Amino acid sequence: MLTLTHYLIVSAALFAMGIAGILIRRNILMILLAIELMFNAANLAFIAYARAWADLGGQIAVFFVITVAAAEVTVGLAIAILLSRQLNTLNADEVSRLKG
Amino acid sequence: MTWKLIGVEFVVSVWTIVTLGADILNLPRRNRLWLLALAGLSLAAIVLALQPPESLGESFQDMFVVDGFGRYFKGLFLVIAAVVIVMTREFEDRLSAPLGAFYMLLFTALLGMLIVASVNDLLLLFVGLELITFSLYIMTAYLKTDPRSVEAGMKYLIIGSIASGFLIYGVALLYGFSGSTHFPSLHKAIVSGVIPLSAQAGFFFVLAGLGFKIAAVPFHLWVPDVYEGAPTPVVAFLSVGSKMAGIIALVRILYGVFLPLHGLWMDTLAILSAATMLYGNLAAIVQTNIKRLLGYSSIGHAGYLLMALSSGSSLGVSAVGYYLLAYLVSNLTVFLVIVAASKTIGGDHLEAYNGLSKRSPALAGALFLGLLSLAGVPPLAGFSGKLLILLAGAQAGQLWLVTIGALNVALSLYYYLMIVKRMYLGTPINPSVIRVHPVTHTTLILLVLGIFVLGIFQNPFLQQIQSAIENQQWTRPQFPNAEPP
Repeated sequence: MLTLTHYLIVSAALFAMGIAGILIRRNILMILLAIELMFNAANLAFIAYARAWADLGGQIAVFFVITVAAAEVTVGLAIAILLSRQLNTLNADEVSRLKG
Repeated sequence: MTWKLIGVEFVVSVWTIVTLGADILNLPRRNRLWLLALAGLSLAAIVLALQPPESLGESFQDMFVVDGFGRYFKGLFLVIAAVVIVMTREFEDRLSAPLGAFYMLLFTALLGMLIVASVNDLLLLFVGLELITFSLYIMTAYLKTDPRSVEAGMKYLIIGSIASGFLIYGVALLYGFSGSTHFPSLHKAIVSGVIPLSAQAGFFFVLAGLGFKIAAVPFHLWVPDVYEGAPTPVVAFLSVGSKMAGIIALVRILYGVFLPLHGLWMDTLAILSAATMLYGNLAAIVQTNIKRLLGYSSIGHAGYLLMALSSGSSLGVSAVGYYLLAYLVSNLTVFLVIVAASKTIGGDHLEAYNGLSKRSPALAGALFLGLLSLAGVPPLAGFSGKLLILLAGAQAGQLWLVTIGALNVALSLYYYLMIVKRMYLGTPINPSVIRVHPVTHTTLILLVLGIFVLGIFQNPFLQQIQSAIENQQWTRPQFPNAEPP
């Protein structure tokens, strides 16, 4: 029997994986992917809570989050293309013109 | 749902389409587009002024609330956008990409700020904040052929998205606690029961997401790089507008919802405030790029705002309102001078400002006053703002924090005066005179006038702010006594 706690544990694990991915991965596309994981952790939590409260508000929230995440990845990929054109790299460690 | 309530937002969202359409149809010439954008802002300002003060209320299932507090900040946002348009006019020959799209992004960001000023629901807050940051990500990377601008955009996007991830996960946890993302329901749930650990974690996640917006210390990593790399009008827009939006959201959440938990967040905010002030002002001292220096200085200002927020008193909120107004005029003055001067003096390096007073006494004078006001020298606007914040801190009994705040005034004065010294005592590399366009000149005069008026006559503004704060729809209008509970 799956209870609310199980879903929340998976959600927290997804969120932690997202943060770990951002910290460990150096490719910008992978970092964007890890950020998506963080958003989807929130989505899973929303859905689980919506079920627990028998409230549709949480499910509606998920649609907003999906939209925002899609917009975020669109802008992110566009800037990543500009970056690879200008600097010929998508490695986060090599993108460091600005320092001080 | 009453359409009257969303009049300002309606005009601004129509203008996103108008500016984009003007760009596609090429109707006004490129160098006239700024007039079209200003016309939209004037229209929005008229609609805002015509909203009778009694026409307050909620809309969109209570998610959107129009009150005196929101209206005050909506006015300020329109002023910020107007000055940023004047800056863009000055900057437009350096923006290679389509200009109409740039104004469109400016209006979408403005729309997000107006929504945040009226927010009454965590989900709407999330959407409003994302509207601001997405527009700013693109605007930051707008100099497509400049690797520094693109790099700044990428860094801003990654760190901003992490902050959004924290914010939305926190919202999900708070939703699980109260069964609603609506502020009044959330408030009811907090007053009536034990707060589980998950809800506390959710609250701090939301704080972290907002801390990114105002550039508070553990979430400040994007600030210097973005300030250095982004086009200067965008920097001005995000340093004032985006910070103000974050502060409004914090006030609405901390004072409208979580005031009963004041003991939980007061110390956290006070410690963050001290760290933010010290870090921002100490790191600014060694900078050699004026935009980067202002980035660190804006971190320092976020520290003062956090100090006022941590007080948990109505004086603290008034101080925030006044400080943001003072910060607006001072910071926009400084950035307008930078935009106007940077083309002739060649770059944003501090050495380029050597002997500015000999090349353009007007620009040097305005920069001098703007910087002194940012530092908090009487009788300028920044002084009154800092004084109110320190008073609020003292009233809340946080004397250690007030001491650090006063120390930071001296620290910040040092690096601001270093720029002033370069301007007045340095010898210019190139003694040619800098020409300033009349539009820029007029705007500068108005802003400098604002600095003086705000510094000398505090009372009318303070009364306006206080009545705006009383005229709000927070679930709990009475503030607790200043003593920490």
